[in-house]
Amino acid sequence: MKINRKQIIGSTVGILGLIIPFFLNINGLSEAGHVTLGVFFLAAAFWMLEPVPIYATSMLVIFLQVVLLSKEGLFFHSVTDSYTPDSYTAFIGTLANPIIILFLGGFILADAAVKYSLDRNITRILLKPFGTSPKFIVLGLMVVTAVLSGFMSNTATTAMMMTVILPIIARVKNNDPLRIGLALSIPFAANIGGIATPIGTPPNAVVLGALNQQGITIAFGEWMVLAVPLVVVALLMAWFILTQMFKAQTDHVEIDMSGRFNTSKNAILLYVVFGITVLLWITEKAHGMKSAIIALIPVVFLTMTKVITKDDIRKLPWEVLWLVAGGLSLGISMKSTGLAEWIIGSISWSSFGPLLIIIMFGSVCLLIANFLSHTVTATLIVPLAVSLATSGLATEGFDLVIVSIVIGISASLAMMLPISTPPNAIAMSTGTIETSQMAKAGITIGLLSLVLVILNAVFYWPIIL
Amino acid sequence: MDHEIYILIVEDELEVMDAIVNDLSEFEDHFPIETANTAEEAQSVVDQIYHANNEVGLILCDHVLPGKNGVDFLIELQSHDLARNSKKVLVTGQAGLEDTIQAINKARLDHYIAKPWTKEQLDSVVKEQLTNYVIDRKYNPMEFMAILDSVKLAESMRANPLTDN
Repeated sequence: MKINRKQIIGSTVGILGLIIPFFLNINGLSEAGHVTLGVFFLAAAFWMLEPVPIYATSMLVIFLQVVLLSKEGLFFHSVTDSYTPDSYTAFIGTLANPIIILFLGGFILADAAVKYSLDRNITRILLKPFGTSPKFIVLGLMVVTAVLSGFMSNTATTAMMMTVILPIIARVKNNDPLRIGLALSIPFAANIGGIATPIGTPPNAVVLGALNQQGITIAFGEWMVLAVPLVVVALLMAWFILTQMFKAQTDHVEIDMSGRFNTSKNAILLYVVFGITVLLWITEKAHGMKSAIIALIPVVFLTMTKVITKDDIRKLPWEVLWLVAGGLSLGISMKSTGLAEWIIGSISWSSFGPLLIIIMFGSVCLLIANFLSHTVTATLIVPLAVSLATSGLATEGFDLVIVSIVIGISASLAMMLPISTPPNAIAMSTGTIETSQMAKAGITIGLLSLVLVILNAVFYWPIIL
Repeated sequence: MDHEIYILIVEDELEVMDAIVNDLSEFEDHFPIETANTAEEAQSVVDQIYHANNEVGLILCDHVLPGKNGVDFLIELQSHDLARNSKKVLVTGQAGLEDTIQAINKARLDHYIAKPWTKEQLDSVVKEQLTNYVIDRKYNPMEFMAILDSVKLAESMRANPLTDN
């Protein structure tokens, strides 16, 4: 293992962050709160500077909490006035949190969809009506990307769509701005589309998981009712901006999408299970079965029928589940030790109205998520909103659900730099675009979409919730 | 990448060597080119490259060489722990049927280019083979999208579950 300077700095900052609070005596913060502050510092430093992979940091977080903060750990064996320690099962149990199971179901569906080329065939069918004019081709590509990324990971969707657009880019003249528009349309549409469903992208899981811990459940369909209108408008806006910024010179584009649906027995089983699962997810209100329970349908039936094999299961992106679980676990201690409340207490919130709080959380999140992982950003910020709600420090009119959703969605809207999201990195790697072009379009679309989020949070979501 | 992926050209005629190197100039920035005039020299170049923790992604090899011939050299490389993964292309006008069969069966030859070749033909073979090499070796496809076969690389990313973070 090679160690570079960045790793040394990251590790040092993180470890100092973990140790220092042990030697401090902060007024109004319990002993356990000090320990949690250390774990929080370490996690934040490791997630930001990445001396180890971000999922490894999540694993470390769970480990440290079990050892340092649980009832069965080293220090806190009994209940005191200031801290009621959780059993270690609460921390490791985050790995089986309903939102993790929901994602597992989503992973299995997405993996099977790729395996039987359902993603590509859906693309083929959906693109047809968009014709051959460059403007509408870009719109078509963005719509398809957004729809798919609502159910698959944004990154996998982007990789698949690259196989569709790269041949087009190769045929378009070298100096035609359409090339840039095309290359940017895919990652942007994927980032926006991921917002549409709870399983679209991990920041959604962070938000739903944290709300779940507060006893608030948002049904799959309810999330979609909240998010889809925003996604549609943001997508159209992004399309308009991209086609204005990068006006096509050619007036005719051919897409070569030949192929046909896989009609093997396994593929048809997949189509049926996929359809039933999605249908049951969006009709949760009607039948009352929770989305995590429904997520077990693809898990069970696709593996029983060997549509998904042992090898496929081994290849699932398990590290994402650890990443989200680590965040949920950290949230437990931040709340139970009073740390989150203490952090929140250091700001006098009463002078802020609910609108200002929404704007603040949204913009801070959008800013940070451009430089950090979207999931990590949501993980670090959502517990603050939760504590703000439970501490009673916030002003009248503060709605935890709305603020949490604002945080999750704003994180997904960060797409200014190649490092902001893996889809951006893929688009950048094609060599078709310059960082400055991505930044210009990404900032414009990100900021305007944030305005949309705020409008939704003020005018639309309160009607639904 | 923290190390280099080399293209090795084994050819005894200088003009032919120059022509190949020239035709591959667009790859040289990303894949440094090494040359050897004989199989024996090629063997030591391969060892040097791996000794410096780099690797040979592609070998373009003539068949008729002074000393050991190209096909025998490629067959021997199959017992090299690391170089057996390199993509192997025979560039020749003079390999007989028997030699060619040997090369395919025993050296896992990846491609056969008959002399004379065109620059387009050579470029597309090199691009294809290097693309296959980085995919086989599971290197991050994104680092090669701009220079190699981007569609095939994107396809390989689709096949391996990718995650948001």
